[in-house]
Order: sequence, then structure tokens, then C-alpha cells
Amino acid sequence: MPELPRKKVGIIACSGEELPEGTITRLAALRVLHQVRPEDTVTICLPLFLAGGEGDRNFARFYPTIAVDGCEKRCAFRGTEKYSNRPAAGIVVTDLIAQHGLDQPHGCRKLDAAGMKAVELTAQEVADTVDELLGKGLR
Amino acid sequence: MTEFLEAAIDKFTFRVDPGCHYSSEGIWARFEDGRVRLGLSDFLQQRSGDIAFVDVKAAGTVLALDDEFASIETVKTNLMLASPVSGKVLQVNPALEMTPEVINQDPFGEGWLCEVELNDWDANRTLMLDADAYFEKMKHEAEEVQRK
Amino acid sequence: MRSSSHKVAIVPCSGIGKPYGTVSRVAAYQVTEDDRPELTRLVPLALLVMGDEEYGRIVTESPAITIDGCPQACATKMVQQSGGRVAHECSVLGAVRSHRDLKPQGIAELNEDGEKLANALAQEINAMIDALTVAGPDK
Repeated sequence: MPELPRKKVGIIACSGEELPEGTITRLAALRVLHQVRPEDTVTICLPLFLAGGEGDRNFARFYPTIAVDGCEKRCAFRGTEKYSNRPAAGIVVTDLIAQHGLDQPHGCRKLDAAGMKAVELTAQEVADTVDELLGKGLR
Repeated sequence: MTEFLEAAIDKFTFRVDPGCHYSSEGIWARFEDGRVRLGLSDFLQQRSGDIAFVDVKAAGTVLALDDEFASIETVKTNLMLASPVSGKVLQVNPALEMTPEVINQDPFGEGWLCEVELNDWDANRTLMLDADAYFEKMKHEAEEVQRK
Repeated sequence: MRSSSHKVAIVPCSGIGKPYGTVSRVAAYQVTEDDRPELTRLVPLALLVMGDEEYGRIVTESPAITIDGCPQACATKMVQQSGGRVAHECSVLGAVRSHRDLKPQGIAELNEDGEKLANALAQEINAMIDALTVAGPDK
């Protein structure tokens, strides 16, 4: 039985390469992991998770996770549920963009200004969800 | 089948081979028939990242305690590895030339670095940590790393 | 115009934890958007793994070139598990070993060495595509 020394939240980004929203999930997840909530989060690599990474799968069984998906296909959420455990929360970038009335993002390789704004919004949404899951309340 | 000591910290599981002695930096030494095999501990290889290049001192090289016996370049860092034993390098793992990633894949087995003919194992061993002591040290270090 | 079934599938690893994952993605974009757009199709790993019909068909009907960011080789494994044919397995680690002077850094954005390495890897892949396609590049 693994030891569970400290509660953290796993962030799983779909990282889809064919849509700007996939790039948004990746950059938002990295922002949360490295800048916004580094002490509270770990990255779960979706492809490794799906290809049989036991460490990543076990983490998602024992700790809460947030799936960050670019589109309604929700690969990160469904993949996590299928291979490990149901994520504690799911965020879909296209929904966020619609809810906040942001402009459509463009550029998979290099996001435009609308895309970068969506990264900021998504990162904040992920950070707020991390706080909720850890019982920290809004900062 | 080796029964490893295991510590799970976040999404990482770190293993320690109970049949080895360890330097405090995480070099393992496994004694057999008057020689030791040296390698990187699981914690050290995971912490260092994917290995791109490895250079090990050639067979015939005479090592004093703490001499650099190998260097490793990974995606994250460059490591100079100090020998926890004194003696003469007998053999370098031939698999490292084409597939240094074997160190990441099987650090206590196929990923060994070199074999050394020993001058004085008893003297060297007293300066190293046994598996239980290294396991505790490693857990502490791993938890520190995760906290940062 | 070639149909998608005649295009070469380019499958990057999609990892977000290390610079090598970013190198694989940048190389894939260069090949599919700049260098050989008429001959290739970018395949997002997450969709492939989650059983997306369209991308599943692409890898079963077309040769695939996988670009793995680490020795776990998720891209290669996933194409094989989807019943696809991997014509060439490329690895960023292999490219690093061929270009020892280049030290890629950065995950959200690569440094100059990372960009150069991605370009070198893309050139390697372009040559593979040209060898796989009878007529060579349509340009």
C-alpha cells in the first residue's frame, strides 16, 4: 500500500494538437503546475497514462484529479475515467470560452491574443478548482 | 525476483535494492566474488531524468575513493559520479554505448555502469549506507523535492 | 489532391512534462503545416487512444511516423495498439544524440536550441516521408 504523505491534485490536459483549444489546455495546465499552484499540483501525462504508466494511474486512483479538455470529445476526462478513476472535476475550454463570451482562439502552434486570454481564464478556473478540492477556499 | 523496498511519493514510486550498499549521492554497489558492480539508484535516475549520454571510465582505469568514474547527461542535468569504492575498472556495461536509456529502464539490473575489482571492500563498505539507511535518506530527500 | 488515406500519419508523443515532448510536437507541426502539408496528416494521440473513428482509420490505412519524446514510446505503442502500421519510429532522444551541441530547454516555449533540434528532427522526418511516398513531395 503506497504512503500518501500530502494531498495534491493531478492535472490532466488533453493537449490535443489539432485544435487551438488543445494548446490552451496544455499552456493553462503548465501555468498552474509551474506558476500558480506548484505546491498543490502534479502533472499527469495523458499519453503515458494511457500507455500504461502505473505511477500516473495509481496517483489518479488515490488523489483527486482535474481533467482539462479542449473540446466536447473530452479525451482527458474519459481517458482518466477509463484507465484509472473518475476525475474529481472536468473543465472544457470551448464551454469556458462560450460562457465568458471570449473571441474564438486561433493558432495551434502559436496562439493569438484570444487564445492567450483563454489560457489565462482556463488556468484561473483550474486553480480555483484545485483550491476547492483541497478545501482551501478562494484565495 | 528481487523484493525491493518501495516508497510512493506523489505519482512516483522509488525502489531500493536491498542487496546493495549506497553512497549518499545514490550510487549503488553490489558485491560479488571480489568485485562490485556500480550503478545509479532508482531515485537518482528518476530525479535526473531521461539519460541522453553516459561516459564511464574505460576498463583498466584505477579508481581511488571519490574519483569521478562516470558522467551522465540528461534532459535536466549533467552529473559527475564519484566512485564509492577504490579499485580497477574491469568492465563497462556494453549496453550503454547504444542504449544508455537502459539506466532509466532498469537501474538495478541491465542498467549497471561498470564492474570494479576491489582493493578493500570492507573498508569501502563501512563508508557507505546499507539499503535500509539509504531507503530512509531517499524517502526524506524525495519528500523534500516534492515539497519544493 | 491526395485523399487522407494516402497521406502519411504523423503522430507526436503529446507529452507535456518535459522539453522533449515539446520538441516532438514542434517538429510535427513543421512537417505537417510547413514542409509536407500535402503528404501528411497530424494525428492527435489523445483522440487516437480514445478510439476516434476518423483518426483510427487514418493510422490503419496509412503508414505512420511516430515521434516519441521519451523511452516510454507512447506514440509508437498507441499506434500499434490501434492496429496501425508504424513505418518509422523517431525519437527526440535519438535526435539529441545526433546533435550533442544542442541543449533543448523550455516546455511551454522552446529555447533556440530546442527549435533547432525540432527543425533537425523535422528534416529527418521529411526524408522519411519522401521515401514513403512514390512521387515525393508535391512541391
